[in-house]
Amino acid sequence: MEDSSPFWPALLIAVTSGAGVWLLRRSWQGKASRPGIVAGGWALIAASLIWPAWQLGPARGPFIALALVSAIALGVVASNYTVRQAKARAARESLAPEPSDRATTRWRETLRWLLAGPIGMVAAMGVGIAWAALVPGEQQTRLVVGGLIVPVVWGGCMAWTLADNRIIRATAVLVGVAVVSFGAAILKGFA
Amino acid sequence: MTSAPVARPRKPKDLMSRIPAGFVRAVLRGHSSLGLAFAALIYLVCLSGSIAVFAHEYQRWESASAPQVSAVTPDAVQAAFEGAIARGGKDVEHVYITLPTDDFPRLLLYVDAAKDSEFVADATGRIVPGKPFAWTEFITRLHINLHLPRTWGGFLVGLIGVALLSSLISGILAHPRIFRDAFHLRLGGSRRLQEADLHNRLGVWALPFHIIISLTGAFLGLTTIIVGVLGMAMFNGDVNKVYALFIPVPPIDDPRPAPVLDLEPMFSKLPQDGGRLEYIFTEHPTEMGGAALFNVKRPDRIGRTDGYAFRRDGTIYHASKSADNNLGEDLLSGMGQLHFGWFGGGIVKIVYFMLGLGLTYLAASGVNIWLARRRDKGRPAPGWERIWSATIWGQPASIAGAAVASLIMGETAAAIGAWAILSVAFWLLAFRFDARGLGKVGRIATGVLMLLVVGVHLALRGGAASADAVAWIVNAGFLLGGLALLAPDLRRAASSGPAVVTH
Repeated sequence: MEDSSPFWPALLIAVTSGAGVWLLRRSWQGKASRPGIVAGGWALIAASLIWPAWQLGPARGPFIALALVSAIALGVVASNYTVRQAKARAARESLAPEPSDRATTRWRETLRWLLAGPIGMVAAMGVGIAWAALVPGEQQTRLVVGGLIVPVVWGGCMAWTLADNRIIRATAVLVGVAVVSFGAAILKGFA
Repeated sequence: MTSAPVARPRKPKDLMSRIPAGFVRAVLRGHSSLGLAFAALIYLVCLSGSIAVFAHEYQRWESASAPQVSAVTPDAVQAAFEGAIARGGKDVEHVYITLPTDDFPRLLLYVDAAKDSEFVADATGRIVPGKPFAWTEFITRLHINLHLPRTWGGFLVGLIGVALLSSLISGILAHPRIFRDAFHLRLGGSRRLQEADLHNRLGVWALPFHIIISLTGAFLGLTTIIVGVLGMAMFNGDVNKVYALFIPVPPIDDPRPAPVLDLEPMFSKLPQDGGRLEYIFTEHPTEMGGAALFNVKRPDRIGRTDGYAFRRDGTIYHASKSADNNLGEDLLSGMGQLHFGWFGGGIVKIVYFMLGLGLTYLAASGVNIWLARRRDKGRPAPGWERIWSATIWGQPASIAGAAVASLIMGETAAAIGAWAILSVAFWLLAFRFDARGLGKVGRIATGVLMLLVVGVHLALRGGAASADAVAWIVNAGFLLGGLALLAPDLRRAASSGPAVVTH
């Protein structure tokens, strides 16, 4: 038996989520707060994400909807673009935030990238493996969720260590997390 | 009498606007550093991934003249299996058989031997002559391991997935107005502001897609190393114990030679309960210890398959029903399909392709913003502008060149060679052309090569006589893409008209 065709449900998802995004945009355009329109917009988007679970499969439906809703929302935004005239004001006067201009040294930058790379990876693996070892549940679920935790924690470590000026603090935290998590996982063992 | 106007409450400040400016600037610094360090690799992985969404369609396109097979009988599968092993050479370790479906009307066999090879068979199981899937292999392997050794390439791509995930986290934190400005799309004026609007709108509205892609991609790429570390820490270094939790343990190895495994009795033992047999994985098919695993797909489920593993004598030694899967097994089995967009037919593939190109642009525009900011501040970096332009325009042209080479030569190595040569050529052109010139050269080269792909396919690969509609659709895609890239120059040439010579 083949999968059900997503064509007609996709059309309905597009219409419902498009209406939801349009309502959000309408509220965004106004100067005053309009909670009813915002709630209506989000309700339509939520509905377009949830109901396909019954039509197209419990996981398949919402994931199809998620991809479509992103595309539809971008379509709504793109269809309402405005053309901006170049201003005489020098762009260097831009109000957008600028990256911080911190003083640094070669060894601090080296340590920063070591923290974002291998040390962050080891700490993230420690957290993932500690999850797999310590959290109750089916073995496969603990392993896969632990595996998914690794890139999330590693990505978080990268974002943090590349931003934080207090590099010694980041070093201490990551090394501590790695030691504690691996230690706890090895002591508990996998069962 | 007029009623007084009702005062509406003013919009409250959102949470993001309360993030301290110092924190924003620090995170923006990290976002910028990470983006610059990984931009080219993220760009390449996202571009190749967007193209690889249509891998099954490319296989149909590359075998355009092969017979379309809607259903096969067990004896046809057996005949094809034996035919592929006979042609596959010595030391056959595994044979993977993909059975025909509505989306993929081919009987496909992949033989893992001293030299790996792929074959297509007709509905009777006769192997048909044809070239292998060099282009599909090229583009999928470029995405999965960048054509590096599999373990290291996979790890590098996993690391790129983590860097992308990290950029998404820092990108949201570094832009306090990202939700407040969610509907602003202002084109024209300052290049930096236009790029920033496009970068931030793509980043916020496609965020769920970006998270899914980067998380599943990082997980798939890092699996080998995660399992290795897990095996060392928890299973005394035995990684097989980790894998054994997810895949059936093969029967005891018995390398004595034997006739080709007989699959027909195994077919008759599969339950007829609404599933669709989509894949057969055979292990050591010419040894006494041979075994076969049949995967039966459940409808409307991502990745969910029932598995039935048979010994050589046709007895079942492992049966798993996907209805009994726990969450971890479901997550793992659906991860690949979710990453590549292979779960919702053509509509989802097209949406994944478009959103994937959006993510590719996100990577490119991040560097564009950095370059524009430097120029605005009176510190332009023309060298980096040229190198970046050579990269973002050189890669589409190089990949299109690889498609032409793979169609002509029918070898993945030729595609890799063409891609590498063109990539280097574009970087060398950066010494000669400025960024704008490189962009133009790259755009024209990509457009011309895409049109050439269609011409070569029609002339050499049976495209003109193909009965497969998908082969025509893929050619139409290349044609339209090529024409769209050449459109500005074609319009300019048309408006300038023929030169008039006066005496």
